[in-house]
Amino acid sequence: MEFGFFEAFQLPFMARGLATVVVLAVAAGVVGLGISLREMEFVSDGLVHAVFPGLVVGAAIGGTAGLLPGAVVAALAAAVLFTVLERRGGLGADASIAVVLTGLFSLGVVLVSRQEGYVSQLQELLFGRLLTVTEAQFWQTVVVAIAAVAVMLLTARAQLFRAFDPAGFEAAGFRTFRTDLALGVAVALLVVAGVQALGVLMVIALLTVPMAAARLLTPRFALLVPIAILVPLVAGIAGLWLSFTWSVDADATVSPGAVVVLLLVAIYGLAAMARFAFAGGSRGRA
Amino acid sequence: MNYFALAALEITLLGLLSGVVGTLIVLRRRSFFAVALSHATFPGGVVFALVGWNLLIGQALFAGLLVLIMTLLARIPGQGKQVASGVVLSFGFALGTLLAGLNPGLGVPVEALLVGSPLAVTTADVTATAVVLVLALLVMLVAGRGVLLHTFDPVGFAAAGFRSWPVELVVTGVVAAGVVVAMPAVGAILGVAILIAPAATARIIAPNLWLIPPIAALIGVASGLAGLWVSREFDVAAGGAIGLITTAVFLLAFVAQWIAARRRRTRQPTATEVR
Repeated sequence: MEFGFFEAFQLPFMARGLATVVVLAVAAGVVGLGISLREMEFVSDGLVHAVFPGLVVGAAIGGTAGLLPGAVVAALAAAVLFTVLERRGGLGADASIAVVLTGLFSLGVVLVSRQEGYVSQLQELLFGRLLTVTEAQFWQTVVVAIAAVAVMLLTARAQLFRAFDPAGFEAAGFRTFRTDLALGVAVALLVVAGVQALGVLMVIALLTVPMAAARLLTPRFALLVPIAILVPLVAGIAGLWLSFTWSVDADATVSPGAVVVLLLVAIYGLAAMARFAFAGGSRGRA
Repeated sequence: MNYFALAALEITLLGLLSGVVGTLIVLRRRSFFAVALSHATFPGGVVFALVGWNLLIGQALFAGLLVLIMTLLARIPGQGKQVASGVVLSFGFALGTLLAGLNPGLGVPVEALLVGSPLAVTTADVTATAVVLVLALLVMLVAGRGVLLHTFDPVGFAAAGFRSWPVELVVTGVVAAGVVVAMPAVGAILGVAILIAPAATARIIAPNLWLIPPIAALIGVASGLAGLWVSREFDVAAGGAIGLITTAVFLLAFVAQWIAARRRRTRQPTATEVR
């Protein structure tokens, strides 16, 4: 069977995959700015791992429909926990985060290992399924992504003030804990939105790579968010198309999420190389 | 030796290794690096499983490659250390996932690479762990003073005329080796649990710096063996049980320290009043 580019995206599962990619790209661009400015990449990784036990418990209680509620509860609890750890941990904050991250993931593994069909369930949760998202799951993703973006937009002024002038922010009498927690919650919601499509392992790419690439590509602040939305959009559409044709042609199981993430990393790699060349040139001139 | 004794031996060695590798990771604040490295060795394992070669060598080679990429990325201006780790992490997982998905008939189960299987470790794995432990101890005996000075006073270290790249190289090498040998027993995701958590706990409770490594080793061995026992008694995944117990011990120490600090703070005003 031969499919053209536009015909392929008219297939229902491809159209839904595409819509998921668009929603996630917009949310990742907006929330990614907060992650990047506050250097929260490691905390984001912690939140990703923390969602795992929530998914397991949610699936055990409510089946597929329980996945998202379970993830939301776990993500919000973890957002509070990591915000407190970062503030109280002092110099050892990174070690504390690492320990809690592996601990929560361990909890998920132990819970899964008590259930029937351990291996297949574990793989599904870890690797995600971009093309087998159901209609209901898609709308859940949309709602959660909108919530994440809303939290960011509502606190945008405070977040930027806090990121660029932490001392001034405190001196002006703002509550740092509330702002930090809002950012943590936004990241946690983005993790939940992305986790069904990309799986626990790869959702970290969505959180960190788009904005990292945007920061390499432009020095202008106003362009950061648009570029960070555009980059995963391009990678997502190209990745879906590539994995689709590859699956059809070679009759193989190609994980669309993995292809999308690899393309995302490839764009970052190209941007990094361009930056390297550019930085070398400008240093020569100076 | 039966498989359970072998697993216990491997876990004991990894617990001891936590005293050296874990202490380095915690004191030099390289946790995200260690986590990213352990996660990202996953595709190396998949590739070597496909070809049918030794998994440990594949993971070690891939770890070396990723350290190189991370070092290069960290030199780009405007990109923090965390960004490099995050990118490498994403890359490793996506590549591993794609390769594992393309080859359903993989000789090694994917979940064993991810969460480990302590009861399936071989004599070769245990030997590798023992060799890394001895080497790490030797390196620390020789270079320990320099590493310590560089960790706590990098400016003084540079002022004394030492160069910092050999220290970075030694530390990165020891950490990478420790993470890789932990892989067969506790997997790519939980690999750091048995290395970092005991050392992080030791940092909280140790009265001085010199006691951190021995206390970390003690906690590592005790909680590792306890996890193994829990996994056998209650029939749960062994890697997960070990990760849970090391984390529980850490949280206990964290909360105890917090309470102790609070008590001290509330007692202090009365002491000054008396004076």
